[in-house]
Amino acid sequence: MSIFHGMNTTASALTAQRLRMDVISSNMANVDTTRAKLVDGEWQAYRRKSVTLKPLDGNFSNFLNVAMGSSDNRSVGNGVKVSDVKEDTETPFKLVYDPTHIDADEDGYVEMPNVDPLKEMVDLISATRSYEANVTVFNANKAMLSKALEIGK
Amino acid sequence: MAIESVSLFNPSQINPVSTTSKLSPSEAQADFGDFLKTAIQSVNESQKASDVATEKLINGGNIELHDVMIASQKSSISLNATLEIRNKVVEAYQEIMRMQV
Repeated sequence: MSIFHGMNTTASALTAQRLRMDVISSNMANVDTTRAKLVDGEWQAYRRKSVTLKPLDGNFSNFLNVAMGSSDNRSVGNGVKVSDVKEDTETPFKLVYDPTHIDADEDGYVEMPNVDPLKEMVDLISATRSYEANVTVFNANKAMLSKALEIGK
Repeated sequence: MAIESVSLFNPSQINPVSTTSKLSPSEAQADFGDFLKTAIQSVNESQKASDVATEKLINGGNIELHDVMIASQKSSISLNATLEIRNKVVEAYQEIMRMQV
């Protein structure tokens, strides 16, 4: 475990939160997209995407050390990683009455994406705050190392 | 012929055992020189990594801003640690030179 272990962990979290932010940007940008995918010759609206995170596994030596009960890095994690970006197939599309729309059906209804801007805003705040929290952790980590360098001054 | 069973061995058996043999002053000096050299090299490596990351960022490469910042902070801490050690070494040298003969 190097002295920069904590920093690497924080870096992985920052990367994950950035990706969350990118996915939210995509959802917000596609709030009116009716032609995201061509299914059986018909255009389907954009589906809301969401990010799934999972803890980052270590390398082989980590596993070996943990299995053998070495005191070093026994339960210290290695960070986080994005396991999946999946589409929300649960929430139905919003049906909007707009006969002039190019993708309207015979009755004049258009299937709009299942993106809820309010939900996206909440996720946005969550991602921003998590990012900030991780930056704070990084700064605390750095302050600790800098303090250690003052030992014996 | 009896075959001994394979037992799970301790990590301490894998880890290098500290050498108990005594070093001559010249050997100790060479060891210290090597150690210092590798330490300074690793600091240089981190500086280089930071430089590469910065260049990649300004050239519009596929790298996150925080990764660049973290690389620069890591190299800064490594450099500060090196400076701290250098100060101690110079201090020790001066202490020796101040000895009355």
